[in-house]
Amino acid sequence: MNRQRIVALAWKEWREIIRDRLFFALAFVVPTMLMLLFGYGLTLDVENLPFAVVDYDRSAASRDYAYRFISSRYFAFQGYADDERAVDGLLAGNQVRMVLVIPPRFDERLTRGEAAPVQVLIDGTFPERTQTSMGYVAAINSAVSLDRMAQALSRVRGIPLAEARGRVQPVRLEVRYLYNQSVQSIWSLAPKLIMLIMMLSPPFLTAVGVVREKESGSIFNIYSSTVSPGEFLLGKLAPYVAISIANAMFLWLLATTLFGAPFKGDPLFFAFATVLYVICTTGIGLVISMLVQTQVAAMIVASIVSIIPAVLYSGVLLPLPSLSPAASVLAHALPPMYYTNIVVGCFLKAVSWHALWLEVVVLAAYAVGLFGLGYLLFTKRPAS
Amino acid sequence: MPASVIHVDGFTKRYGRRLAADGLALDVQRGEIYGLVGADGAGKSSLMKAIAGVLSFDAGTLEVFGIRVDSERSAEQVKQRIGFLPQGLGLNLYPDLSIDENVDFFGRLRGVPDTELAGRKRLLLEMTRLDAFRQRPMRQLSGGMKQKLGLVCTLIHEPELVILDEPTTGVDPVSRRDFWAILGRLLEEKGITALVSTAYLDEADRFHRVSLFHEGRVMGQGTPAELVARVPGTLALFRAEPQAEALPVLKAAFPQTEAMGAWLRVFADGLDPVQARQALGACLAGVPGKAVRLSDWFAREPELEDVFVAMLRQRGARLDTTLEAAATTRPPDTGLAIEARALTRVFGDFRAADAVSFQVPQGEIFGLLGANGAGKTTVIKMLTGILKPSSGEGRVAGAEMRSAGSAIKERIGYMSQAFSLYHDLSVVENIRLYAGIYGLDDRRARQRSDWVIGMAGLAGYENDAAGRLPMGLRQRLALGCALVHEPRVLFLDEPTSGVDPIGRRVFWDILFHLSRREGVAILVTTHYMSEAEHCDHLALMFAGRVVADASPEAMKQQLAASIGQLLELQVDHPAQALAALHTAGFAHVALHGRAVHVLSPDAGADLRRLPALLSGAGVTVLAAGLRPLSMEDVFVQRITALEDAARRPS
Repeated sequence: MNRQRIVALAWKEWREIIRDRLFFALAFVVPTMLMLLFGYGLTLDVENLPFAVVDYDRSAASRDYAYRFISSRYFAFQGYADDERAVDGLLAGNQVRMVLVIPPRFDERLTRGEAAPVQVLIDGTFPERTQTSMGYVAAINSAVSLDRMAQALSRVRGIPLAEARGRVQPVRLEVRYLYNQSVQSIWSLAPKLIMLIMMLSPPFLTAVGVVREKESGSIFNIYSSTVSPGEFLLGKLAPYVAISIANAMFLWLLATTLFGAPFKGDPLFFAFATVLYVICTTGIGLVISMLVQTQVAAMIVASIVSIIPAVLYSGVLLPLPSLSPAASVLAHALPPMYYTNIVVGCFLKAVSWHALWLEVVVLAAYAVGLFGLGYLLFTKRPAS
Repeated sequence: MPASVIHVDGFTKRYGRRLAADGLALDVQRGEIYGLVGADGAGKSSLMKAIAGVLSFDAGTLEVFGIRVDSERSAEQVKQRIGFLPQGLGLNLYPDLSIDENVDFFGRLRGVPDTELAGRKRLLLEMTRLDAFRQRPMRQLSGGMKQKLGLVCTLIHEPELVILDEPTTGVDPVSRRDFWAILGRLLEEKGITALVSTAYLDEADRFHRVSLFHEGRVMGQGTPAELVARVPGTLALFRAEPQAEALPVLKAAFPQTEAMGAWLRVFADGLDPVQARQALGACLAGVPGKAVRLSDWFAREPELEDVFVAMLRQRGARLDTTLEAAATTRPPDTGLAIEARALTRVFGDFRAADAVSFQVPQGEIFGLLGANGAGKTTVIKMLTGILKPSSGEGRVAGAEMRSAGSAIKERIGYMSQAFSLYHDLSVVENIRLYAGIYGLDDRRARQRSDWVIGMAGLAGYENDAAGRLPMGLRQRLALGCALVHEPRVLFLDEPTSGVDPIGRRVFWDILFHLSRREGVAILVTTHYMSEAEHCDHLALMFAGRVVADASPEAMKQQLAASIGQLLELQVDHPAQALAALHTAGFAHVALHGRAVHVLSPDAGADLRRLPALLSGAGVTVLAAGLRPLSMEDVFVQRITALEDAARRPS
């Protein structure tokens, strides 16, 4: 290992990244931009669902019922409609996602103690959202029903309303949300975005950076000199690893400040694991760069190889236990899942070595394996 | 220590099923400048990369400095003693780094101590006259400067052997000459051995010894003079009127017959000048119809290209094309095909084209010459209606270019350097595609498709993918696609880059046929100065202006009258001869291998006095004689004079 050569390679690479507009953007702008775009755009919370009400009864009870929805933060009331035909257009035009239809004689039936049907029309084009909003509707509806039962009970038995409530709902749920007390999806999403972006950016940057030399022919400078493969890989990749580490730190800052995610874990442990993860994903880029010949191919392969595991098999969108057995095997075979456990653990659970040592070992094995593979695939005397 | 620096035997290299090099043998001695000459895909690069230790090969032995290179490990042993410049102008350099930073990187990569690096860098940059631009990013350098920077970076670790893969491709003739001069001096001073490849056959005389490459094999090896002597014969240059009648008859008897503007150029193999004159005279007497008049007879030694083509012919290569003799002759158009009147295009404060005027009649082959950035492409873009002129006017194929841009596009054919073919489509599919683009109906499309296949000699290749055709065929297919709608005016932008000599000749035969028989006007830009000689008329561009506009012959005569004739001196110490001639006051002296070229205002007197003058400097003149001026001489003299004038403070 000759230090002068490694420094010369790293210094050259650094200056090229800084001066080439595309590489500069890829290295320093794209990760932050992705964080902002995903952070603001990828919220899984369903709130302010626009809805309308068709009230054929126009009674105090029907207004009262509708008001329960109007006052909920999960729904955004768009107005009353005259009949169902009027709401067809609203649903089709996406102005409302849900419509409550309260039939005539709603008040009368309730007063008589009969069951009163209420129709709910829900936009089913986005199943996740539909399920969630259906849950809200059911919850509000059952709250209304319980209230009415409690009122009736208190009237009939002459007991206080509070006691009547206890009687109609003998088992009461006391929920305490752990780790993410206000169940805000951004708290869990922002840390996972660090995982996601650090899975996309370093492979892309590295693969294109190395293949660029193959495509232009400047790789022959390396082939025809006495630089050893180790020196080349070290000097060439050091700037990419350094930039990616800096990016990861900056993303951490964005997650904790801009998005307000809590960081409860050990910063040193987190930093160590992150460096390992970045080396690992840089190694993915290295292996890709050894297998393809053109920058276009490098970009395509890097996007496929990084986006799919990062999005589907990492636990960022779907919880891992809900994956199919085959998908679960895949998830365990890829590095993003392990780092997801680490970020979630560090941000939300305040756990460290004792809980996450296996994850760290797996990432280290990956880093060693990928760089080893890159080293073996690199030849200074190729066949074409 | 073995005497040869490189020893190659039975070298064979395959890429998949394609055989790139087939049993090559080669020996390069210490201190030699050895040339590999051949077209793209001839196997030069594969051999050079293997010698540099950056490519594995399939069979054969390869020794460099006496060390057998057969593995990555053994290749490492010789790499520090080799400098390798891969193919592609400036492509191995780093565009975002400055000249200084590029050289420093190469120096450190090669382990040059910092204490020595600065000194070597200063010396090399001074010699290549790059020292004034040290802070300039490489991407902003001209082609010639990139080429010289590439050389500096290759030499920074003081290798004993340099391997330069097509260092002069894509560079204008002035920069090329400059490059050879610098390379010659550096190699001589440091005693470096060089292996250099080129696609330009007329550069072969820059080397001490050469190997002629063709399709993965070596066709001949030796000094350029030895190679020329290997195929005895005479090169005849003359006029014959009417030329169009004489040409087919001559071609039938002498396959190596070319039309160069109004001149005919015939290589008569095996005949001495007297016999050649008799044979050609007898042949022309057999022209049917009216008598052919032969005039302006010159006979001389053939050039390497003639010899190369003769060697390929001996091995079965064919030069004939299948163009019908006169079946498609149209009534000749007499009008002007292209007329440029003071065309000007300004980008910001840069005048890319400055009051460019010229005329091309129907049926003429017109050459537009000039270095990179002289404005050729800007002019072509304006004439083809792609770019609006800032001022000035022009007519192309009868349409005003200001008002009828789309009419122009329908009436012209355009073929670019990149051949603009779809590589995954078959030959017929490509032709049909272009027929569709130009709106030909089904019947016409089929007719023209048959015509293109016949013209380009593509019969038997109809269903092959265009990308798999040999370069020469691919080039002719591209020409056919540009001609599918029978345009009256044809634009060719660097049409013959990388094509082998046989392919180039056939291509020019077709162009000649098109211009003479079908009256098509052809505008060509080219870097090959030997090709400029095929044109009827030339316009030379410099800094956006047309600085000369005449026939090739007139341009040469003008040079002979103003500066002098070309003398070639074979000497034992070329570098010393060069210096002595400079001090004796000759301004135009150039090194060509072991020979020195001098422009002399008084050739007769100089031929007599130079041997004595040089022996005073310790140089023996082995042979001396007159050489015909080439278009390259004209180009270089003209442009150098203009550059000097531009540099001088006004």
